[in-house]
Formats: sequence, C-alpha cells, structure tokens
Amino acid sequence: MVDVEPATRDDLGVDRPWLVIVWNDPVNLMSYVTYVFQKLFGYSFAKATRLMLDVHRKGRAVVASGPRERAELDVARLHRHGLWATLEHQS
Amino acid sequence: MSARERPPVLARTDRGFALSLSPVERALLSSIPAQLTEALAVVGESDEQLPGGLRRLFPAAYPTDASAEANYVSLVRADLVEHHRNALAVLARTASATRLTDDEAEAWLAALNDLRIVMGASLGVTEEMVEPSPDDSRYAEWLCYDYLTYLESLVVDSLAELLPRTPPTADGATPDDPWGDPPGGLRWDGTPVPRDL
Repeated sequence: MVDVEPATRDDLGVDRPWLVIVWNDPVNLMSYVTYVFQKLFGYSFAKATRLMLDVHRKGRAVVASGPRERAELDVARLHRHGLWATLEHQS
Repeated sequence: MSARERPPVLARTDRGFALSLSPVERALLSSIPAQLTEALAVVGESDEQLPGGLRRLFPAAYPTDASAEANYVSLVRADLVEHHRNALAVLARTASATRLTDDEAEAWLAALNDLRIVMGASLGVTEEMVEPSPDDSRYAEWLCYDYLTYLESLVVDSLAELLPRTPPTADGATPDDPWGDPPGGLRWDGTPVPRDL
C-alpha cells in the first residue's frame, strides 16, 4: 500500500471519491456478474466473486471508486453490460 | 439424439468457438432479437415513453440528481442503444453459424443478457420465482426466458475461460485494483482503510 498523507489527497482534490455501486437484480446471472467484474476491472476471480456475492446478499456493493469522470465511465461500461449501476459521492 | 450424446453447445477451438445447436434453437435465436431491435429504434433521451422492460436496459446513473442524470443520458444514451442493437444484430445474423469468433461470442452474451433483462422484467421475474404452470399465460415466454438463461450460462462459462489468469498474491489476498489504491482511503467494499495498515 502506498503511504499517502491525507493532506496530499486533499491537495489532489480526491478526498471524497465517487463510488460506483452495483445493485442486486433478479435477472443477471451470478456467473455473468462475476465475469463482468473481472473483464471490466481486471479483478481476480476471487475478488470478483466476493463483490458479486456482496451484491447478491447485501443488495448492493461498491465495486470501484475514484474521481467522478472515471467513476462515471465505469458506470457507463456497467450499463453496457446490463448491470444496474449508480454513482454516489461519498459523504 | 439423447441429451448425453449431444456435443457441447460451444467448444473452444483454435479459431474461436464451434457452435452446436439444434435447428429449433437456431430458428428461435434468429427470430427473437427482431422485436427488441425494433423497440430500441424508438429509444431517445426521454425515459417516459419507455415500456417497463426496456427501461431496465437504461438504468439511471444518478437516480437522485435529475440534472446530472440528464447530462449522463445526453453523453451515453445514443452509444448504449447502438451497442444493444449491434449485439442483437450479431446474434440474429450468426444464429445459423457453426463457428463464432470471440467477438461474436461476446456479442451473443450481450444480446442474450439484454433479451433476458427485458423478458425478465415483463415476466416479473424474482429470485424466488418458480416455473409457472403450463396453463399460465406467461408460460411460453417463461420457457423462452429459461432457455436463454441456460444458453447464456454456457456462453459466460466459455468466455470466462478466455480471461487472463490473475495470480494470487503470497498471502492469499486478492490483488490491488488495477489503478492502485483507491483514493480517499477506501477499500474495495467502500469501507475506510484502517490507519495502521
């Protein structure tokens, strides 16, 4: 993990990241959701599966976070794959 | 031919996938995309005229911020419609093929998923749903949905084989995000990273 002081994050203006959230839905297959997380974000099978199970069991999961432009692009990519994704500014 | 003797629907070859389906399945797959393709032709930037099932293909990025949402829609909606229409066109065009390229298999996955999303919404599918009885008016559509689910799961499994293998790290933890640690001291699940980590 890179050691970054909170002040540095503030300087970059990224102290409050945008969260990419995926919501549970009854149609998308569990294997499909795992595949999409791996393909779009380069996550390992284990991590993609853990996120998919979070979506399935808890109803939603934060699958990525970062600056608004990148988070919005991630949401658009998830929408292309039929996933129910939204953006939220971390409070 | 009994189910046991049936060759795999998708078999990996050195040039994409070999595709083995019955004539009935091919006929279904070549005809079924048309209705959704036609419905997508009228999708604009306003969601109000969208029927329920179709709306599910265009989820809101900003459900509580109308102006941010309008901006998002103006940026991505046309591309998104085009993406769905292209995938459906590939499925209809290659339904009788004996081979699929990797890109065509990817389009099949997108098209099958789109069709299931719209049919699932129209059927009112829930996670606890059981098969409707044969005298239910939704029975035929449900059978079709169920078949597409089966086919999609085979396509996902085949395409997942093509994903790069991510080597596990020494401590068994999953690798970091491709862009490094997420800013803001958040872990992948949105919880703060402990200070003493």
